[in-house]
Amino acid sequence: MVNGLIILFGLTMLYISTTSRLIAHTKVLVVQGLLLFLICASGFSHASITAIVFLTVETLLVKAILIPWFLNKVLKKTHSNRDTDANIAHFWCLLISSLILFGGLMFSMVHIPSLSMINPVCFGIALSTIIISLWLITIKHKIISNVVEFITMENGIFLLSLSVAKQMPMLVNIGVLLDVFIAIYILGLFVSQINKELGDLEVSHLSDLKDCENND
Amino acid sequence: MINLVLILPIIFCIFMFFIKNKTLNNILITLYSIAHVLLGVLYFLNPNIIGNNEYFSLNSSNIIFYLILSIVFLAVSLYNNSYSKNLEFDNKKMMHYSTMLLVFVLSMTGGVLSNNLGLAWIFIEATTLASAYLIYFNKTKHSIEAAWKYVFICSIGIALAFVGIILLTIATGNLNSLNYSDLINNGAKFNHFWLNASFVFILFGLGTKMGLAPVHFWLPDAHAQAPSPISALLSATLLNCAFLVIYNVYKVMISANCIAYAKILLLIMGFLSLFVTSVFLYHTSNYKRMLAYSSIENVGILAICLSLGGVAYVGMFLHLIGHSFIKAAYFLTSGNILELYETKKIKSIRLLSSVDKKTAWLWIFSFLGICAFPPSVVFISEFLAIKAFIMQQHYFLCGLFLFLLTIILYAMAKVVFKMVFDNTSSSRVDRARENVQKLGFSMYFPQVLLLLMAFILGIYIPKFLDIAIITAVIG
Repeated sequence: MVNGLIILFGLTMLYISTTSRLIAHTKVLVVQGLLLFLICASGFSHASITAIVFLTVETLLVKAILIPWFLNKVLKKTHSNRDTDANIAHFWCLLISSLILFGGLMFSMVHIPSLSMINPVCFGIALSTIIISLWLITIKHKIISNVVEFITMENGIFLLSLSVAKQMPMLVNIGVLLDVFIAIYILGLFVSQINKELGDLEVSHLSDLKDCENND
Repeated sequence: MINLVLILPIIFCIFMFFIKNKTLNNILITLYSIAHVLLGVLYFLNPNIIGNNEYFSLNSSNIIFYLILSIVFLAVSLYNNSYSKNLEFDNKKMMHYSTMLLVFVLSMTGGVLSNNLGLAWIFIEATTLASAYLIYFNKTKHSIEAAWKYVFICSIGIALAFVGIILLTIATGNLNSLNYSDLINNGAKFNHFWLNASFVFILFGLGTKMGLAPVHFWLPDAHAQAPSPISALLSATLLNCAFLVIYNVYKVMISANCIAYAKILLLIMGFLSLFVTSVFLYHTSNYKRMLAYSSIENVGILAICLSLGGVAYVGMFLHLIGHSFIKAAYFLTSGNILELYETKKIKSIRLLSSVDKKTAWLWIFSFLGICAFPPSVVFISEFLAIKAFIMQQHYFLCGLFLFLLTIILYAMAKVVFKMVFDNTSSSRVDRARENVQKLGFSMYFPQVLLLLMAFILGIYIPKFLDIAIITAVIG
């Protein structure tokens, strides 16, 4: 059951790599948040009751509701609909993401079973999610897409921490919550400011600061 | 006492929020900087009254980092008194500036004093959030670009560092603690594969924050766009905070007897940083960017010293002190030049020696200090690094190290002397002469203080500092 949820989480990364509609990206974030909530709620985190309660509330409130809502608000405010100018066509994105997902699973299936404290499926999917997110950041052209991929990377890291059958100190959990929430808040604020300043959310517009140019 | 240093800025921020007065802001910032230094002094007078606790402590391994932070912050707060008077912003915006400055210093202090890797990570993340506003303070198109790159790249770096922490918990096996002392004491039992993997992520993640090449891209933009006192703090203290965490994790690697791989990584990143600086310094047209590249060079030297070990450890601590003091003075002086000429373009700055002699001399002495001219303490540190290269028979690397440093020295010297002595007429010079009156006493004094310390330490190291360095190296 839990492994099924984790694989479903991995599949959301394939969907995100093939769609250019930004609203669909935020919907994927909701789905990922819900999946992480279910994974935590099914007692996967090998943590104390307090930690499980904290983690489930965090994933449901912050990852599945607050962050997608906030990004939706930014999308509406900036009138952003699509990220159509990715460097690589959707077909190749899907193919490469699938290969990374497969590679991550294979790596963890082959190397991890010797360690009893790690769930190989969870570890493999988490690793793939982080790599796919980082790769997507490099090929997407809209700032808002980069923010979404940053959040999927954070979700991947969260899944990675769940894959270890060891209780991460509560302090770190609080830190991750703070990190995600405030980072997204600031990124969201910056997105609005960039849109106001440049009239667009293209990453290419943020390349004025160079060594050879006299820009002051 | 240790808790007071962490609570005081929060209380001061509340005062600033309700009162919104420029003078009060400056007084509170200066008061906090004095309290900050006092804690460092108390450590040497009577360590028992510091009040170390489970999460925060001032000890032999972080005292040097703390002292650097305190002294640079004191210098910046003094400079800020005159600097903020020249800023034509309303009380509300100045309140934002001052509160974020305090939050930034608080988060760096928390990062330095943390006993726990997880806690240090949280504070390092907090530094990104606090300093992002300060980089964006001028609210120009360029400052938003710099702030965006800073937040985005550093957040990814910090996230990757967290992956490193997760991998470290796998490596630690049954140990359920991220306390540095627990990690170092139990290092021998750790799994080497996961420990190496975790070090890669932590080095790349926090290396981003530290400004090590090839993950340094945010640094020249952010340092150049931030107000000069903030640039000084970013370069002279923030990079050290990230380095302290890397240094502590490296100590865990030593205790686990697993440093071969980590040494190579540090050496590669160190030399890459020197290479990147030597290439880009030639092309930069902005003097604040030049200083930012110099910071990349110096963190590269720190990484090389850490990798070499032995006498280079002593060199590393001396370099840390020397670079922080001199670079803070350098950035603060760049603030003077910006006030005078109202531009960051190198080609527009001419005849600095006749416009403002004091700023010109500070600019030259900062250059001499950072380029390791004796008696700068940086000379001793680089000399010790070279000695370590030779003792370990890395002759080629030693040659490469000297070659890259020479290129950097030449590139910087060309710019600095042109700015100070070139008498080509420039439309900005007349305006600069009129602006000299804007520079108050406290826009010179802190740099003199910092440079004096950096040059005196090159001749004489006080006993208390000598002991602190030796204990930090052994510990």
